This record gives sequence, structure tokens and C-alpha cells, in this order.
Amino acid sequence: MFTGGGVRGTIMSTASTAIVLALIAAIFVLAPGARTVTHAFFYGRGMWQSFIGDPKKGYYSVGAAIWLNIRMFLAAEALILPFALAIALIRQSTHPALFPIRVIATIYVDFFRGVPLLLVVLALGLGVPGLYLPVISHQPDAVYGVAALVISYSAYVSEVYRAGLNSVHRSQVAAARSLGLTQRTALRYVILPQAVRNIIPPLLNDFIALQKDTSLVGVLGVIEANQAANIYASTVFNYSSFTVAAILFLILTIPLARFTDRLIDRDRRRRLAGAT
Amino acid sequence: MQSLLFKPGVLTVATDNPVYTPWFVNNTPTNGKGYESAVAYAVAAQLGFSKSQVKWVHEPFNSVYSPGPKAFDFDINEVSYSPVRARAVAFSDSYYSVQQSIVALKGSTIATKHSPAQLKTYLYGDQIGTTGLTYIESDIQPDKQPKVFNTLALAASSLEAHRIDALITDTPTAQFMASAQLKHAVLVAQFPTVGEHYGLVLQKDNRLVTCLNRALTALSNNGALASLQHKWLGIYLHFPTIKP
Repeated sequence: MFTGGGVRGTIMSTASTAIVLALIAAIFVLAPGARTVTHAFFYGRGMWQSFIGDPKKGYYSVGAAIWLNIRMFLAAEALILPFALAIALIRQSTHPALFPIRVIATIYVDFFRGVPLLLVVLALGLGVPGLYLPVISHQPDAVYGVAALVISYSAYVSEVYRAGLNSVHRSQVAAARSLGLTQRTALRYVILPQAVRNIIPPLLNDFIALQKDTSLVGVLGVIEANQAANIYASTVFNYSSFTVAAILFLILTIPLARFTDRLIDRDRRRRLAGAT
Repeated sequence: MQSLLFKPGVLTVATDNPVYTPWFVNNTPTNGKGYESAVAYAVAAQLGFSKSQVKWVHEPFNSVYSPGPKAFDFDINEVSYSPVRARAVAFSDSYYSVQQSIVALKGSTIATKHSPAQLKTYLYGDQIGTTGLTYIESDIQPDKQPKVFNTLALAASSLEAHRIDALITDTPTAQFMASAQLKHAVLVAQFPTVGEHYGLVLQKDNRLVTCLNRALTALSNNGALASLQHKWLGIYLHFPTIKP
């Protein structure tokens, strides 16, 4: 997947990989403080303890906590996709009557792309319950966290959608309309399919970032993986729990990253197939 | 001793930012007010440092125990001693024996109903890195998983927004929150001592710890620590003790 150029290329890439890995390992092993740092970050027993957790000793399982991150990520993603598309379509609309909504959508995107996500999480998680409204002021913290992720990420993702919509040549709309398709059917059957294919890689890129940003919800006191790791670290004064959290996040994000690569490759091959 | 110092001729003392009353006053460690500021200056005087030879630096709690050389001689920030923590850093002897307390909103259920069985039914909040969480889980053993906040301020906001029933923190901090910081809060009760104490934190294997211990012993023997506690924490310590 990463190498090109037959047997010789494979040998060269293997050798250079081995050298790079050896150099990195050497820094870890030979540095004067290597033992202390290794103990602080890669203490085997500490990693296991933080993975399984022990509430009686004042810390929780990082392994169990990552389940909350996964659920928050899935819920957020399912909401972001349609919401962001709606924002993008509003911003792309041309009807004069829709002007005020277009302005609101533009302000929305500018605002939430500019405001730090942490602030949105805090504002919703501490502000909304303080309003004492029926139902919406009485949700679990994770719900406010997901709401904040949806609000913030939809602003980013709507711009990705918009870039995708703009990437479809205007002649495609003209062609569809001249075939007798209405504006709506042209959008549904001609523009969106092409636009979405173009934006799958950047879209998945944003979702990889979203998976990690679920850890920001920890500021509300929710015990997600990063917060569980932080609790362990500050209770026993050892950072190995963060290594455990990092490994768990990698296990979540690497498959998605590889999947994105494959989609890009496949798409490129398809498009080039007709060009030769 | 001079060779053991981070900077020769200066005693470099670290604490977090912000810091709270009654441990410090007005978030200003240099003013000598508040119990921990006063203790730091008293220790410095015992070691022969004048007030101007004490330099304060900010050190976030999480980096106090980072591996490698530290940019301070000792840290004073309500850090509880525990044997497992002492594997990563060096602790001085105790400068304060601490108990945990419940802070809740006035008129809330927990303010009046806190028998051992009732205590299990509430949702608790705690600040990260404090021993309150260990206390909640091992002694109260609540039905619901407590919430853990990165700062005391966040825990307090959560209490005011009715997101938690009560927060657990050390008694002096609890009393300050209930009497001054939060408008509608009350210190419900204090839990019995479990032998927890605060120590000054140094880099692991720093031999300066023997000098600090000598100074703390002297301050304890001549009654200076007790009178500083009376002066800065005195009004904060008269509370009924309840059993979890």
C-alpha cells in the first residue's frame, strides 16, 4: 500500500524503516532520563491498572470509559451529516425569499468555526441546566456534550459539503435542467451524488478529529476515556493511563484512516480509468 | 543546602494558578496571607531565607509529578501524601492533617438527610487529583458514579446548576465555598479523619526534603504551625462530624 517499485523497493523501504525505528528506540533507551520517563508513561502495571480501573483506589477503568466516547461519536456523526448538509444547501440556495436564512446560516458557520469547541461544551453543559427548562434542562451531561459537538462540527462539515457542491461543474446543472429535471431532482440525482463522492475523504478526516474531540466532554465531569486517564494519573502520579487512552483512540481511528485511504485510491483509479 | 537549590540563594516555591482561600488570599501567594503562603514563608524563615529571597512560580497540578528535573524547590498546593504517589515524587512531613466535608445547596435533601444509608443515594462531584474521590468510592460507596471535574470552580458551577447533589472537598475549602464563594451553599458535615495529610512536594530523591522536615518539625514544636492554622483556618474547623 505504501511502497512502490518491486523487490528492490521493498528491501529499501524495509531497511529505512528499520533504521528510523532503531533511532527512535535509541533515543528512548539511551537518554539520561530514559528510565524515569519510560516508567512515567509506559509502566506496564500502571497501564493495566488504569485499563481495568479500581474505584476504591480512586480511579475508573479507561477501557470501560472509551465506550462512552464511541457512543458519543456515533450519535454526533449521525446528527452532523444531515444537519451540515442542510446548512450547506441553505447557503448554496439562490431564491430571494431565503435571504434571511442564508444570512443566519452564514453567521452560524462563521461563529461556530471561530469559537473554541471547549467553550461550546461548557456553555451547553453548565448553561442549559441552569435555565430550569422542562426536559431539555434535565439531560445527562453526555447529551449536552454531543449537542456541542454537533453544533460545532456541523459548521465545519457544512463547508466541506459546500466545497463538494461547488466542485460539480455548472454545466452538469445546465445539462440536467435541459433534460427536463426540476431543480430539486437535479440536485438529488445529479449534483449530490457527484459532490458527496468528492468530499468523502475530507469528511472522514473531520470524523477522525471528532472521535478524539469527544474527550472534551470530560470537562463536564463525565468520565470518558481521557478523563478516566487523567483521574488515574493525578491519583497515583503516573501518566501511563494516558498511554492506554492513546492506544484505545488509535484502535478507533486507524481503521477509519486506512478506510479513507482506500476510498481515495479507489476513486482515483476509477476516474483515471476513463482518461487513458 | 545551597547546592540543593534550584537557583542558588533563592527558595523557589511552586503552586497552582488560580489558588483559593483559605490556602492563599486574593490568588497572590507572595502576600504571605492564607495558610499555605504563611507556611511557605515560615519554612523559608526557618531555613534562613528572607521574605525577598522566596520566589513563587506557577506549576499546574499535573506537571508537579512529571518526570525529570523540576523548576522549583518545593510545591505547596494541598497535595495529599499517599504511598503510591511517593514513588513518583518526594513528600515532606505533614504540614496539615485534613478531613473531607460535604458541600451542598441550602434546602437540598442531603442538607438534612445524611444517614449512612441516605448518603449512598446521592450524586457526588469531586475535583480531579483530590483524595475526595477515593473517599467517596471507598467509604460512602454511592449507587451512582460520581462526577469528576478538572477544577474546583467547575465542580462548584455544577453544584449551583443542580447537576450534582453535593461536592466533597477538604473542610477548609468547603467552609470557604459555603460561607463566601457560593451564595446558596452550606457545609453539611465533615467526615471523620482517615489519617490524610498534606505534604510539600519535591522532586524524587531531592535531599532538600530533610531540611524541610527539620524546619517543619521546629515549626510544629514551637507551636507556629498550630497558630498559623488557628489564624488562617481557625474559623473553618468547627463542624459536626458524621460517619459515612
